[in-house]
Amino acid sequence: MSLTNDDNMSAHSQVSSHFFEDLLDSIIVDVASECHRVARLGLDRNFEEEEEELRLSAQARARVADSSNNGETNSKYVVDIFGQTHPPVANEIFECMNCGRSIVAGRFAPHLEKCMGKGRKARLKVTRSATAAQNRYTRGSPGSSYSSYSNSTGMNRLSNGASSGVAGEEYSNGSFEEL
Amino acid sequence: MSAKRSSINRPPTPDVDRDRENQEPTLQEIINIKMIESGEKERLKELLRERLIECGWRDEMKSLCRKKGRNNVTVDDLVHVITPKGRASVPDPVKAELLQRIRSFLASTAT
Repeated sequence: MSLTNDDNMSAHSQVSSHFFEDLLDSIIVDVASECHRVARLGLDRNFEEEEEELRLSAQARARVADSSNNGETNSKYVVDIFGQTHPPVANEIFECMNCGRSIVAGRFAPHLEKCMGKGRKARLKVTRSATAAQNRYTRGSPGSSYSSYSNSTGMNRLSNGASSGVAGEEYSNGSFEEL
Repeated sequence: MSAKRSSINRPPTPDVDRDRENQEPTLQEIINIKMIESGEKERLKELLRERLIECGWRDEMKSLCRKKGRNNVTVDDLVHVITPKGRASVPDPVKAELLQRIRSFLASTAT
């Protein structure tokens, strides 16, 4: 039988689509068959783990919603995800590299502050044991802090009316009432 | 008067039309046979399978199956679960590639 070109084309595309559907169906059956096998033989270990995890996460959520207050008051004995408890202050003891004393880890930072120079006492410690250059620096600093104090108050005074250029000279002379 | 009862055991005589069809295979059938004989069907199936794995279609279908649960599932159940979504979610480029291959095969073995 003779088909026109158009008929041929549409017949072809029909056949092609049909064939494609056929292939797809057989692949679908393959996938279904494999999943069936896995399900029946219990080979999918992940499946049970997933179920377990879902259950645990639901439990955890319930616990959080339920007793969130308790968690805060019990912070001393907080349990992390590995089941370990941590004391609030770290226990380990080691030597401070600056002064050589044995310090508890949890108190190390405050110790270092005092030991290395954040506070006033620490700075005095430094000047006593320092070189000449360092001494000059530290002697300068109380002075500079004093003059900066006068500067600031002077600025306040000046803003009332005088020009800042003139005032600058008067600064260095130190001829200010504040002094 | 009792009409003659046709035997209930005897299979119906095939129609004349059906008889003719039996002698003249459809285009579909011809193509199918040619595809199988030349090994092209197998190649195309492997190609399609590979493409579907690459694009994650297979994993989607497997997760659908898993959702169905593990108790007393039959292959039929799973096929029914997967088929509608499976047919609809084949990515267009994959489908186009396969159709292209099929059509060129048809053209090369044009009847």
